Amino acid sequence: MFSLWIFSIAFRDNVFFKFAEHTFVGAAAGHNIVYGVDNVLRYGWTPFTKGALLYVVAFLLGIVLYTRYHKKYFWMSRFPLSVMVGIGIGLSMRATVTAEFIAQIQSTAALKILGVDAWTGFSNLLFIIIVLTVVYFFIFTFPSVHKGNLGIISKFARYAMMASFGYSFANALLSRFNMIFGRVDFLYTSWLPLPGAMVALPIVLILLAYAMIPAQKRPWPKPSKPS
Amino acid sequence: MSKQGKGLWRRLEEVPREVLYLLIFLAIIVPTVSPIGLAVPISDEAKAWYNTVDKLPAGTAVFVDFGYSGGGEPELGPMAVATYHHMLRKKLKVIAMSTSLEGPLLFERAMAEVGPEKYGAKYGVDYVHIGYIAGTETAMAAVGKDLRATTTTDYKKVSLDQYPIMAGIKDASSFQLLICFTTGGDQSEGWVRQWVTPYKTPYIANVLALMIPTMLPYRKAGQLLSLTAGAQAGEVELLIKVPGRGIKSADVISVCHLLMVAFVILGNIAYYGRKASGG
Repeated sequence: MFSLWIFSIAFRDNVFFKFAEHTFVGAAAGHNIVYGVDNVLRYGWTPFTKGALLYVVAFLLGIVLYTRYHKKYFWMSRFPLSVMVGIGIGLSMRATVTAEFIAQIQSTAALKILGVDAWTGFSNLLFIIIVLTVVYFFIFTFPSVHKGNLGIISKFARYAMMASFGYSFANALLSRFNMIFGRVDFLYTSWLPLPGAMVALPIVLILLAYAMIPAQKRPWPKPSKPS
Repeated sequence: MSKQGKGLWRRLEEVPREVLYLLIFLAIIVPTVSPIGLAVPISDEAKAWYNTVDKLPAGTAVFVDFGYSGGGEPELGPMAVATYHHMLRKKLKVIAMSTSLEGPLLFERAMAEVGPEKYGAKYGVDYVHIGYIAGTETAMAAVGKDLRATTTTDYKKVSLDQYPIMAGIKDASSFQLLICFTTGGDQSEGWVRQWVTPYKTPYIANVLALMIPTMLPYRKAGQLLSLTAGAQAGEVELLIKVPGRGIKSADVISVCHLLMVAFVILGNIAYYGRKASGG
């Protein structure tokens, strides 16, 4: 029923959708809190009680994070935050240059235009042209390179990026359809065969349809008058 | 005439969203209730996925990130299930962790769907889940450096020492393949930075379709041996000959996409029609 209530927002806002939405947010928050506490116990408290005393530093930093809610001592929360940011950047930076620059440049430079079949050669040539023109598009230091006849390079790059965004959009649709299908499949194969579900379904749909009628047009309940 | 024409084009351009959603719901419900059986061609990526797993000898240790969220389960769940069918049938040693909070719950759900017992596989002997480890890239780096120092228990809080599968497992170098099922870009890209680059671990990833364009540069650079979207689960199910939810969704996805293409064509006709009629 929650699935149907959540989907009903596609047609119109209604009280059942709000109830389902708020319940979901509450349940997700509760789930996160439970897992958060469990993580602190599992990865912090347990090793600490077994003699890993250095964990006290992590606990202190964690507690200091909450000073951001204090008007006077909020500045203290910057210290643990800076530690977290430092660790995060340090970890990702150690391999970023290799993983995200060198490997990509190498693979682009290794593309063959000659000595391969015509279609692959054309595809590789187009790929190289697009890479170069899109890089050119993002040269902001010298605005003059995008003016006059040179503007055609930026224009080509823009079309190439549009094609890429279109591909992303189509993929995003694919994901969304899968999500809807997952729920519909659940309703059809797991929920509808349950005893009473065939009776509950029309009732739920009728109630949903009723809830979507604007409050002023509904016979009941009447909208409360502003005080 | 011109005024009437303009009105028609405008109406076509501004089809109410309720009508669009209703048509999409019908496009999903009709093939679900009455499957059409449209062809499912097997892509090179699905073949690469299958071959990467299939060529591993029995007893090889594989590391899996069950990193998808509940929202992504309908898309990624079928591929995770199909891959576990394949891995357990091949008698691989599968050690999983989760970089998403719901991971352990979804792992249980996937295992219930797989039914490891039909391959004679036992929890702790042939497969295990070491739980959700917070921190995303920090967790990946820590597990890669020293798995046993990062966690000493599985997701049920049972000591890892009690499981035979964990014998000899120390760090990233203990694994011959890394598989990631994820709904997060931080995870799919993080594994490249934290495992593929420093440890050269062979890596395949199954991500949301909308993440494919972001991950393609890694695939083209050879940092991934296969990159698949969840919707390709049907192809892998065909390859391993275990039909499941992936095949079921293939009809729905195809019909929905055809509907979208029809709307795009209609929208363009309406746009140029309005322009031509002076709108």
